[in-house]
Amino acid sequence: MVILEACGLHYAYPGGAPALAGLDLAVRRGRRLAILGPNGAGKTTLLLHLNGTLEPKSGQVRIDGAAMAHGRAQRASWRRRVGLVLQDPDDQLFAGTVAEDVSFGPLNLGLDESVVAARVAEALESLRIADLADRPPHMLSFGQKKRAAIAGAVAMRPDILLLDEPSAGLDPFGTVHLLAALDRLCQGGTTLVFTTHDVDLAWSWADDVALFATGQVVRQGEAETVLADHQALAAAHLKPPFLLELGLKARALGLLAADAPLPRKRADGLALLEGLAR
Amino acid sequence: MIRTDRLAAASRWKDKSLSEKAVTALGLMGLALALPPFPGALAVLVAASLLAWRSGVGPADWLALLAPPAAFIATGTVALAVEIDAAGLHLAADGGRAGLAVALRALAAVAALLLLAATTPTPALIGGLRRLGLAPELAEVALAIYRFIFILQDTAQTMHAVQAARLGTVGWRRRIRSAGLLAASLLPRALDRAHRQEIGLAARGFDGSLRTLSAHRPVSVWGLARAAILLVSIAGLGLAW
Ligand SMILES: Nc1ncnc2c1ncn2[C@@H]1O[C@H](COP(=O)(O)OP(=O)(O)OP(=O)(O)O)[C@@H](O)[C@H]1O
Ligand SMILES: [Mg+2]
Repeated sequence: MVILEACGLHYAYPGGAPALAGLDLAVRRGRRLAILGPNGAGKTTLLLHLNGTLEPKSGQVRIDGAAMAHGRAQRASWRRRVGLVLQDPDDQLFAGTVAEDVSFGPLNLGLDESVVAARVAEALESLRIADLADRPPHMLSFGQKKRAAIAGAVAMRPDILLLDEPSAGLDPFGTVHLLAALDRLCQGGTTLVFTTHDVDLAWSWADDVALFATGQVVRQGEAETVLADHQALAAAHLKPPFLLELGLKARALGLLAADAPLPRKRADGLALLEGLAR
Repeated sequence: MIRTDRLAAASRWKDKSLSEKAVTALGLMGLALALPPFPGALAVLVAASLLAWRSGVGPADWLALLAPPAAFIATGTVALAVEIDAAGLHLAADGGRAGLAVALRALAAVAALLLLAATTPTPALIGGLRRLGLAPELAEVALAIYRFIFILQDTAQTMHAVQAARLGTVGWRRRIRSAGLLAASLLPRALDRAHRQEIGLAARGFDGSLRTLSAHRPVSVWGLARAAILLVSIAGLGLAW
């Protein structure tokens, strides 16, 4: 079931080369989609189209099959359904404290103050930053700012959450925590779309993958098929994820049954090795 | 501004209600201006400094806050305390007493205001002004400027560090050149950032008003009473002397 769809998007920044050149993308409901591509491929530009910030020169974005318009009122309802977390958290945080900042979105939804307070507490808790509630954003570390910015979008409970490089700049522990928080959201029914150039992260975490190169999606589908496509990966200037290569090699050598799941996480890879040693 | 906000964020008085702090600070300022400067203004200066110390402002920070206005006041005072005539440069007829009185008053009043600034984060101050009837548009512009100051400062700091790392600040010629480059690109960069902030706000349904849920700090009657006792004692001291 496709929930969000981009069809034939064309876009060029004023005075620039085309950033999107006939882009097609389908986002499936309730799944985690990784948009993989090198620097400058147009990932951020795409996300800005998916929440209606940028208007394509041609092509359209559809939600549940309905084409989205760029009028003021339509954009507002669009953004109720599609949340966006920017690459740089400083672009997103503005209020005096983290809790105040997180309350901004829910208040704009027109919710009661008591409901908003509950949502703020929940969002801060789910990102494990409840202890930072009263801190001014400029007194946080980068990773803490990042989580605060995500909490600000999460508190609006969008159907679809777009995240631009959510793990960039986070330490390994921070990344694990963040992914766990996003997993909880996904289990709650939120569809997640995130951009990254980390193929290993995409393999360990995403259900679907879209490969991006020079303003177009060159391949999309289930992570397992897309990330094993060496040609498509090369076109996007990316390399296959290590654990996927390991699993496929084990299969090819007859060390892993053809129907056994491929290792996705570090622990799976180690378990595979232990199984072989036995 | 930057220093006061850093102090305010760490202040022990951060959670005190704004009214209590405002009554204390503005009351002290009123006394500094109304009472005879000695001992009235002196008492206000001492009280403000002690309160600042109790709220968590270290002596070094307090002096650093007071220093710039004190320097201004000192230059102004010289004009009052010194006279130049045919006989040359000499102390004013009153021995500089008027100059000293004005300086003491001004310094005490400034100290009282700094006490408020160093214990209250700017957004809380702006929120208070809004509750007092400041137009919401003005309050929001003030808040946006407040954010922008940190963005500018952060951008400038990063650019400076980057220049220094590439030896752009070795020798005064290069230092001037680097400073010029920084000044030239700081504003476009900061504006670009402001534009991206707008995108960030729009993504969360920004409709022209920056509403947030701010924590309400209840006024404590005891706190207000304490402020009143302090003010009345200083007034009594100043008048009875
Ligand atoms: N504001 C802008 N003005 C002009 N050109 C831009 C602007 N923003 C991006 N571009 C150009 O559009 C293209 C796509 O940029 P985009 O930011 O979408 O890439 P990206 O995939 O997000 O890259 P990264 O991984 O570095 O974040 C790039 O060639 C870039 O130079
Ligand atoms: Mg980007």
